[in-house]
Amino acid sequence: MKWTIHPAKLLLTLVALPALLIPALALGYIVYQGGAVISWQFISTSAELSGFGASSGVFSQLAGSLLLAVGACIVATPVALGTALFYQLSNNSRLCHHLELLIYLLQAVPPIVYGLFGLILFVQIFSLGVSLIAGMLVLAMVLLPMLTLNNITSLQRIAIEQTDAARALGLTESALVLRVWLRQSRRELITGQLLAIARALSETAPILFTATVFSGVVWPDSLLSPVTTLQTHIFYLAQEGNHPQSIDVAWGSALVLVITIVLFSLLARALKPSGGNL
Amino acid sequence: MLRLFIHSSAWLSFSGLLLLSGFLLYASWPIFSEQGLYFIAESEWYPYEDLFGMLPALFGSLLSVGVALLIALPLGVAAALFNIEIVPSCLQPWLRLLMELMAGIPSVVYGLMGLWLLVPFLEQQLDLLTGRTLLAAALLLSVMVLPTIMVLSEDALRKVADDQRQRANALGLSWWAVVQRILLPQAWPGIRLATLLSLGRAMGETVAVMLVIGSIDRLPEPLYNLLQPAQSLTSRIGREMGEASVGSPHWSALMSSGLLLMLMSVAVVLLSQRRWFK
Repeated sequence: MKWTIHPAKLLLTLVALPALLIPALALGYIVYQGGAVISWQFISTSAELSGFGASSGVFSQLAGSLLLAVGACIVATPVALGTALFYQLSNNSRLCHHLELLIYLLQAVPPIVYGLFGLILFVQIFSLGVSLIAGMLVLAMVLLPMLTLNNITSLQRIAIEQTDAARALGLTESALVLRVWLRQSRRELITGQLLAIARALSETAPILFTATVFSGVVWPDSLLSPVTTLQTHIFYLAQEGNHPQSIDVAWGSALVLVITIVLFSLLARALKPSGGNL
Repeated sequence: MLRLFIHSSAWLSFSGLLLLSGFLLYASWPIFSEQGLYFIAESEWYPYEDLFGMLPALFGSLLSVGVALLIALPLGVAAALFNIEIVPSCLQPWLRLLMELMAGIPSVVYGLMGLWLLVPFLEQQLDLLTGRTLLAAALLLSVMVLPTIMVLSEDALRKVADDQRQRANALGLSWWAVVQRILLPQAWPGIRLATLLSLGRAMGETVAVMLVIGSIDRLPEPLYNLLQPAQSLTSRIGREMGEASVGSPHWSALMSSGLLLMLMSVAVVLLSQRRWFK
């Protein structure tokens, strides 16, 4: 029955094909353009102070991206976990309901708005300047809603019998959290962290004015110095590089960035306890 | 100790939205106190003459997002139906994996593709002076939200109970009738949610739009003309934030664009959660 040719099925296929082919072709095009550029040398060397130069490696950009993403994740994790625990431990359903709505609202706020907020508060008022730490804080805010939601789902997956048994044994609240909940859900929590890092790696707008410069930084000296990242590197090269070679570097950087993000998401998928049946 | 940690992080999350709107309002206050609220509806944006009409950017944002959804929604839902109904079940997870990975591709990479692939293509095909148009932004946005719409619609379609479908088959309904009368109506709330989520994401998209939209503050003539350079709220913030000096009217006008953007995305979420209030 599945294989009888049905005019409606044919029509559906015709409409669906562009939706499936265009993303696949786009991915293929990045691999085609970037593949011609990247080599081990491209990834492992940094183009010192060369700006729009010809033979630029992207090591410092890759390092900057990873530093920002991992840092943001480290900043956001305790707050997200605390909020998720608050949600799970609270027995005030009205409050939880409001908290959930609030997290959805925060998730909907465009990343550039977080960038503006960071520019006002961290860069100007706290006078941290355009710096690694300002970027980490802004990205942490961007990550907070998704991490919190992820942590809540992980905690909700714990079998109710575990919690009941722990309570029946008379465990205190902190023992329940530390020795039962966190232990039971640790793999899912780590999955959430990896997805958050992947998400942070794909954000450009929030760090454009708060953390990054185009060139001149190989390795940030301290939390207060600016960084270069793959995302902003691609952006500047795409926007201003009329030199064909700088566009090549942009494609190469794009492929490196995509591969890094895919690696993090695949790792998260592999760690997912229930196996990848999604 | 643990209680203190949990409560303080929950309050930190609670205050997030308040902090965001508070600081944005603080930064855009000068422009509101100087020019009232009328400038939002005016169409002239010349920062050096203190004219800050928001209308062109607002219109550009709404039009590009509207056109993008008009393209992406039918394609995405069709692709989700195609994946569930027509693709052999051993291939389904792979298609799904591809879509999930596509959803993770950073916007700056789409921007790179838009600027160096889509824009020249539009220039050639439509014989335009510049391919950086509202149409380019809308097409790029539609490709960007397509994976999200497809993945979420697929989730919604899969949740339709099997016995409903079996009963429909037992009644001898044709395949198309099952799709039209049972699958789509049942999955509609999920599809609507997917639409609103992608609407929010597309509206807040910055770097990709900024690279292809042309960044000219002018209402299109006639209003439905997609083939002219335009401006969106996000692209204006991204384009001009670097040059505006801190505290100037220009700076606070840009901040108020951010505030407007945030209010719009919050409104979209409240719209999608409408039934929570009933």
